[in-house]
Amino acid sequence: MSNWLQNMPTAEAYGLNKVLFELHHKPDDLAAYLGDKEAYLDRFALTGRARAAIRDNDVAALYLAGANPYLLRAHCIGIKIPEPVSVGALKALAGKN
Amino acid sequence: MAEIVAIHAASHTPVMLNFPDAIAASEREEIFAGFRAMGAAIAAARPQALIVLSDDHVHNFFLNNLPALCIGAAPQYPTPVEHWLKAEKRILPGDAALGAYLLSRLMESDFDPALSMELTLDHGVLAPLELAGVARDIPLVPILINCVQPPLPTMRRCHAFGVALGRALRTYPALERVAILATGGISHDLATPRMGMVNEAFDREFLRLLEAGDAAGVVKYSTEHVHEAGNGAEEIRMWLAAMGAADGAHFHRHYYRAVPNWYTGIGIGEWKA
Repeated sequence: MSNWLQNMPTAEAYGLNKVLFELHHKPDDLAAYLGDKEAYLDRFALTGRARAAIRDNDVAALYLAGANPYLLRAHCIGIKIPEPVSVGALKALAGKN
Repeated sequence: MAEIVAIHAASHTPVMLNFPDAIAASEREEIFAGFRAMGAAIAAARPQALIVLSDDHVHNFFLNNLPALCIGAAPQYPTPVEHWLKAEKRILPGDAALGAYLLSRLMESDFDPALSMELTLDHGVLAPLELAGVARDIPLVPILINCVQPPLPTMRRCHAFGVALGRALRTYPALERVAILATGGISHDLATPRMGMVNEAFDREFLRLLEAGDAAGVVKYSTEHVHEAGNGAEEIRMWLAAMGAADGAHFHRHYYRAVPNWYTGIGIGEWKA
């Protein structure tokens, strides 16, 4: 058992985490993202599945792709994914790995 | 020379500010009373500066540049950095001179903390100060330990860092009274399939070992069992550092409750000579 899915982020996870970080720290980014997700995500080098996971608010896929737990948690709160949805998606993974 | 007049430790979570009503009013009031008591004790010790041992939750630091240890040396700290945190935006006073002094002394002690002259503090510093009622009065020196993205500094290293920190503080010539607040943990887990887990047995054993004053035992237990207590439990590094700084002072547990609906084992305690 480990507290961490990735002890060192993969290159894919780095790109994904960069989006989750910039989205909530650069002054205009959240509005830009919410205004046009595809255009915003074009700014980043992302794998197809990382891009889709972010765009679709797929919390389970974000976790599995290596989202840092603090960035993922902040993102769920920051874009107002309902708590039962985000926590439920994660809990549904329990026992599947 | 400065005296360390108070050393406290307490859990933190943004839920305390964002979703306080997720738990029963009686439970919440009991926890908030524990934080107020801690704040009253800190205020009564009349510190001229407060060292806050905490972690940056990937706000000031990102995967492009992530220090294992960082000491703030700024005259002020805006907070909170989280746009989604339910907390009033304000600027907390800092003690830049003390931060700079600690950096130099800890370098001389063969530690290599990063320097930051500009930090926007997150809930890990703000939430406990806010609940304790000491969020604007005492100049701060934030010391941030990476507990949020492996590879993490070892439990042993964090305890040893605390020992060196305590020694450095006691040699500081410019103030007479300083205090330490360590904040984080105890068991919790965020954004994984275990989210919501609180490992009460882990928390109680951790607190018992602190009360027993067994530094080697705390380090060993923390190292061997932290993965049973969740990714948020990695924040016990701050408690280990405080234990090191306390230089053998006795730990008193003031409060513990497993609070699954706040996703956290909430502990509050203090080292007293």
